Amino acid sequence: MKTVFKKLFTFVITVLLVTLFVFIAFELIPGDAATARLGINATPEALSVLREELGLTRPFFVRYFSWLFSFFFGDMGTSYSYGVSVRSMLASKLPITLTLTLMSFVMVVVLSIPIGVITSKYEDRPASKIIDVIGQLTMSIPPFFLGIIVTYVFGMILHLFVPGGFVSYNVNFGKFLGYLVFPSFAIALPKAAMSTKLLKTSILSERKLDYVRTAYSRGNSTTDVMYKHVLKNAIIPVITFLGMTLADIVAGSLVIEQVFSIPGYGRLLITSISNRDYAVVQAIIAIIAMLVIIINLIVDILYQVLDPRLRGN
Amino acid sequence: MLEVTDLHIEIEDSLIPETVVHDFDITVSPGEIVGIVGESGSGKSMSAHAIAGLLSRKDMKKKGSIMFEGEELLSMPRSRLRDIQGDDIAVVFQEPMTSLNPVKTIGWQVEEAQRIHGNMSDEELRDAAIRMLRDVEIDEPERVYYKYPHELSGGMRQRVMIAAALICNPKLLIADEPTTALDVTIQAQIIELLKRINKEKGTAILFISHDLGLVRTLCSRVVVMNKGRITESGTVEEVFNHPREEYTKQLISAIPKFRKIAEASPVPDRKPILEVQNVSARYKKITGYFNPGAKQRLVVKNASFTMYEGEIIGLVGESGCGKTTLGKTILGMLDDTDGKIVHYSEMPQMIFQDPYGSLNPTKTVGWILEEPLRIKGGYSEKERSGKAREMLSLVGLDETYMKRKPDALSGGQRQRVCIALALMLGPKLIIADEPVSALDVTVQEQVINLLIKVNRELGVAILFISHDLKVVYELCSRIIVMKSGEIVEQGTDEEIYNNPQHPYTKQLLLSAGYTEVTQPDGI
Amino acid sequence: MMKKLGFRFRKNPELYIGAAITGIMALIMVAGVLFSPYDPDAMDASSRFADPSFAHILGCDNFGRDLFARLSLGGATTLFIAVCTVLIGVTFGTIIGALTGYYGGAVDEILMRFNDAVLAFPSILLALVFISVFGSGTWKVIISLGIVFVPSFARIVRSEFMRCKNLDYVRSARLMGAKDIRIMFVHILPNTVPVVLSSAVIGFNNAVLAEAGMSFLGIGVQPPASSLGRMLSDAQAFLFSEPSYAIITGASIAIIVLGFSLLGDGLKKNA
Repeated sequence: MKTVFKKLFTFVITVLLVTLFVFIAFELIPGDAATARLGINATPEALSVLREELGLTRPFFVRYFSWLFSFFFGDMGTSYSYGVSVRSMLASKLPITLTLTLMSFVMVVVLSIPIGVITSKYEDRPASKIIDVIGQLTMSIPPFFLGIIVTYVFGMILHLFVPGGFVSYNVNFGKFLGYLVFPSFAIALPKAAMSTKLLKTSILSERKLDYVRTAYSRGNSTTDVMYKHVLKNAIIPVITFLGMTLADIVAGSLVIEQVFSIPGYGRLLITSISNRDYAVVQAIIAIIAMLVIIINLIVDILYQVLDPRLRGN
Repeated sequence: MLEVTDLHIEIEDSLIPETVVHDFDITVSPGEIVGIVGESGSGKSMSAHAIAGLLSRKDMKKKGSIMFEGEELLSMPRSRLRDIQGDDIAVVFQEPMTSLNPVKTIGWQVEEAQRIHGNMSDEELRDAAIRMLRDVEIDEPERVYYKYPHELSGGMRQRVMIAAALICNPKLLIADEPTTALDVTIQAQIIELLKRINKEKGTAILFISHDLGLVRTLCSRVVVMNKGRITESGTVEEVFNHPREEYTKQLISAIPKFRKIAEASPVPDRKPILEVQNVSARYKKITGYFNPGAKQRLVVKNASFTMYEGEIIGLVGESGCGKTTLGKTILGMLDDTDGKIVHYSEMPQMIFQDPYGSLNPTKTVGWILEEPLRIKGGYSEKERSGKAREMLSLVGLDETYMKRKPDALSGGQRQRVCIALALMLGPKLIIADEPVSALDVTVQEQVINLLIKVNRELGVAILFISHDLKVVYELCSRIIVMKSGEIVEQGTDEEIYNNPQHPYTKQLLLSAGYTEVTQPDGI
Repeated sequence: MMKKLGFRFRKNPELYIGAAITGIMALIMVAGVLFSPYDPDAMDASSRFADPSFAHILGCDNFGRDLFARLSLGGATTLFIAVCTVLIGVTFGTIIGALTGYYGGAVDEILMRFNDAVLAFPSILLALVFISVFGSGTWKVIISLGIVFVPSFARIVRSEFMRCKNLDYVRSARLMGAKDIRIMFVHILPNTVPVVLSSAVIGFNNAVLAEAGMSFLGIGVQPPASSLGRMLSDAQAFLFSEPSYAIITGASIAIIVLGFSLLGDGLKKNA
């Protein structure tokens, strides 16, 4: 109970620090919202009037907390370049980025766990060594280049999809999913290779431990030793990795969206950075950071469920 | 019941296959306890694992015959072997912490063999497991059933291992160094437990150990192994009282025996060098910003003693009794302490247990030895290296060691360097924390002799911290006994060993196999 | 001698293959920048998308610029940014990690909370925050990525210091009266080198990927300066007609990353 309380406390502190960090970062940008609206030729009088109106003259922490509260209640300001509320812009794009992320994550898990288990079982076979080398090569390919390769191979040579032919979820959900399979694959492949390698190393080192010998001495078969004893221990470091990966996938999707022309958070973020549309940038970064913190919290809890040694007594 | 004849084990690890066990023969009858003794690397564990069917690695080849209840284990199909494993033959291993699965409950692990070999309902399994836990003398088995290995003490874990091995009522229990990782008093309890199980259930036991003393108290027959071969076998009587082979004689003479290496040096005038008055020490278990000072544990409670110039005091107790903490407290290495410590000498030094951790691996021996003078300042480079060489030769190492790094030294050589380092500033008091327990027996003796030399020639007083009553007896003239953070008894060696007052001291001496000092070379 | 080398190689093939790949790539780039007869920015309409030949060993790009010369320069830029980034990260990370790891206490707790908060951002996202604050350009990318890398190095050095400060040789130095600064930088620091080195190499890797990613998105290195990410983004437009342009550029990044990641794995094995 105490650990749960401590976890939540740490969570709240981290959320505050991260948002404070985002807030400070955008405070540091030369020129404030008033100059941005009125332009550099505005008179000082007009500027100070607008500053007063926008609440920019209030003390720092008052501004921070008012920003934080309105952020949590869904008021994220207005986009300068599009003139619409940031919230409505982000809400319509959320399903796209979310689907892309989840699809990639599922691919990582579905690919890496069986391959990791099987290659560690047959570690001496040549096929397993070949998979290792392929994995090592895959890990070295930057995600955006992998995206380009996937576009070229599956789109231009095999004609499995039309590059740039993104269909939104509210137009045709099936086609939407069909298109996202390919960018998801490009995001997932290197991560799946890393996770496979980690799981394999972890299984191989667990298998050398004494408790495995004990399990054999009780009459367990090799399969039972693997599934009843080794896997649960070996999966623990992989869980941390998958948690980190989920965060990386969110970041990776920002780049991949660019390659596959998917109008999600990534493209919006890049355009907004170029347009200096800070309200949008700030909101996206804060949302992604929140997502990552929540993922970390979930991994932490999962960790304690899986490893009794970490539970406080 | 078990008959092993002509067993060979070969490892094809690198290019040249290496036979690690030759011509191994052993028989075990129902209800018998047979011991296999030998030093580490003698092939005793490997032979036992072969019997238990645990050498399944592809690079290991086995030849010969292992007959169990009329069946040949070596050639039977894996599935038949699995039926026997855990059901008829069960194993208890050396390290109970790592031999239990850390993420499964105690109950699950105790039940496992029964789940594989029997067909009990969950209810029956649980009842059987709890009965078994109670049978191996675990308190509150209903609670322990739901616990995880890390929540139990070492002795408890080994009892759990035994319970898990016995759950199917096996005909043969193979115990592979089951007490080596445990404290002496716990060791004695586990041996008693094995004896009782053998008597009550008639389980035959194959007991593997490097400790001849244990084998002698527990087994009826014994096999002595050396370098993969059996050197001698017979009843315990025959082997221990009339050893035929030279190697066996050597082993028997290495059984811990209590003898003085040097008599206590005469102390002309007892001038104190250290006074410890009502000292307590706490460890903060969790420190940090969010829970300041949470969970404090008193590790040393109200310790008082006085140490005099030039004497060697032994501070004994089992692991976790607070003896190391007391040593660190005396040298001011801990923050949270109470009481009064008066030093009558300057810069007392410490020698640490693990010679691998106490020398900086990135520096040369010469650099390490000169460092105290560098810190103190006021020495030329020549003076520093001269002094370092002098100390090095005192501890019996020549100048060539100056340029070596700790990695290139053996454990004994490292400990010598540590002693030289402690002597660099010319201290009059050294606290030696288990300085020999990480070393091999023969090296132990050399380091003890060196410490005695340091004491005699330089007049350095030594507070010798150890769990080993035999080693303490060799060089200490006064003994302090600690238990759970408290000093329970102190006195001269004569008083403590021959007339112990506190029941704990008596128990310690009994478990250490101390009989009577009047037997100067007795076994 | 050869036998010994062969044995070492079999024991840790990653280290040697990684070192070889990294060394060869660095050499090729230096040679390309110093000795290539072509100005990497010189355009020549007549050799637009020229095929590889003796004149242009890797062919030319959409403006007829020599691809080998451009790849060398772009790769060198990428590597330069990676080296500077890691240097910033290691230097500040070591100082912060050493102080917090050695002293612990409330300052450590607060700094580490802050560290955790910063680490909550995926590195490219955090770099984007800085880029949007500082603006784009080579030096701004270096500073942004450098700051991004400080927390992870601080964390590594901190845990090394926490491990070492309780080792017996440090205790023994303290007993001899060594000052904290001496213990930290003379006794402990050399022992952290293997771990810091292997994470620095992994850091190079992340820096190369992050820089390439940012430049690919058009918010990293700005023209006329060139980097591999930027070139790949240019090449993507001609993927259908001239796939070799994109493939050569992308493969260069992949090979550099492969070299660093093998080297990092090898060093980790040795540490």
